Amino acid sequence: MKEHLLNAKQMAQFVASGYLKFEDMVPKDLCRACLEEMRHNQGYLAVGTPFEETWPKGTALGDTFRLPQVQGLIHSLVGPDPLYDHHAAHLTKAEQTKGPNMHQDSVIDFRDHYFDIQLSLFPADTTDEMGGTFLVPGTHFRNVRTGEIAIYHHIRGKIWATCPAGTMYVWNTRVWHGARSNYTSQDRFMYKLRLNPTQPQVCNFDTADLADPEIGRILATNHGWEGNEHRYELMQRVRLWRFVSNQPDYDVGERFMRRIEYQPGEAAG
Amino acid sequence: MSAVQDILVFFQTTPALDAQVVAWARYEASKGANLSNLVEESDPPYANAMAAMRDGWQVIQMSELKHRSPKEGYELGPLPYQIVLSKFNELQLEEGASA
Repeated sequence: MKEHLLNAKQMAQFVASGYLKFEDMVPKDLCRACLEEMRHNQGYLAVGTPFEETWPKGTALGDTFRLPQVQGLIHSLVGPDPLYDHHAAHLTKAEQTKGPNMHQDSVIDFRDHYFDIQLSLFPADTTDEMGGTFLVPGTHFRNVRTGEIAIYHHIRGKIWATCPAGTMYVWNTRVWHGARSNYTSQDRFMYKLRLNPTQPQVCNFDTADLADPEIGRILATNHGWEGNEHRYELMQRVRLWRFVSNQPDYDVGERFMRRIEYQPGEAAG
Repeated sequence: MSAVQDILVFFQTTPALDAQVVAWARYEASKGANLSNLVEESDPPYANAMAAMRDGWQVIQMSELKHRSPKEGYELGPLPYQIVLSKFNELQLEEGASA
């Protein structure tokens, strides 16, 4: 398992941007079998039950999400024994267009020091014209009510999945995202699986590079849309980083958290 | 053909008319009432609201500054400020409609 864990810099990137992308995560033959199973997707399984018990065995999709590299990724982010939340096979049919549809999944969620993950598998080559899922990196600290953000037709920093078969994105479920138009004659599939942690998400990743100064720069990433809000975003990232890395006094740069925590009376002791 | 109202919304992180636009939306009724195909745009149509005003857009809404409380001063949510711009343009036939 350890060889497949995220390192601290990758974890910091997840905290800052809310997503990670891994090409070549799933072998091509398994992708082809997944694609076939996805065409016959059934509804949700038992929501909120242990993933290992609930998730099918002996199927391509069952095997895919049990690959050691996928298990390492899951463990790094939500820890051991996650719960199955739900899954879906998203299809954007050939030549199907999409209007504005930016949204945050599920319902508004204010839980502190907590996040669910969504694993998005692209089982076929997904070109720009095929309309891969878009994400707005860094928006996962901005709670909104589901589809009301469809009013944002365009936003600086938006990215979208353009990737070879076998690529997996993993993202914080609060990241703003949506579907795009498919201008090709091929159907476009994306399979998603949402998982919940069962214990505090603390130091489940490989912490060997925890002291790397690059982590501060990663946390301060500017995705393009933050503008005057950047330092308020950075404070939220630092708060989550403190929690997941078990460093309650961590801060970066000008130390904005200190600005609101420093009390001269307490310092004088 | 008569002129109808088009709306352009700029979303910003400060309320000024010369502030950077970080997100934007077009409601161009003159072209149709259907937003079923969003074509990607990497930059807003104008650098800021004042540049749009110089091209004939009228500001019909500005945002007020917000009062901040100790509790709400650090909360994040939707982008905080928006400018709504209006311009009247000639009505065009919707795509697929017959004359």
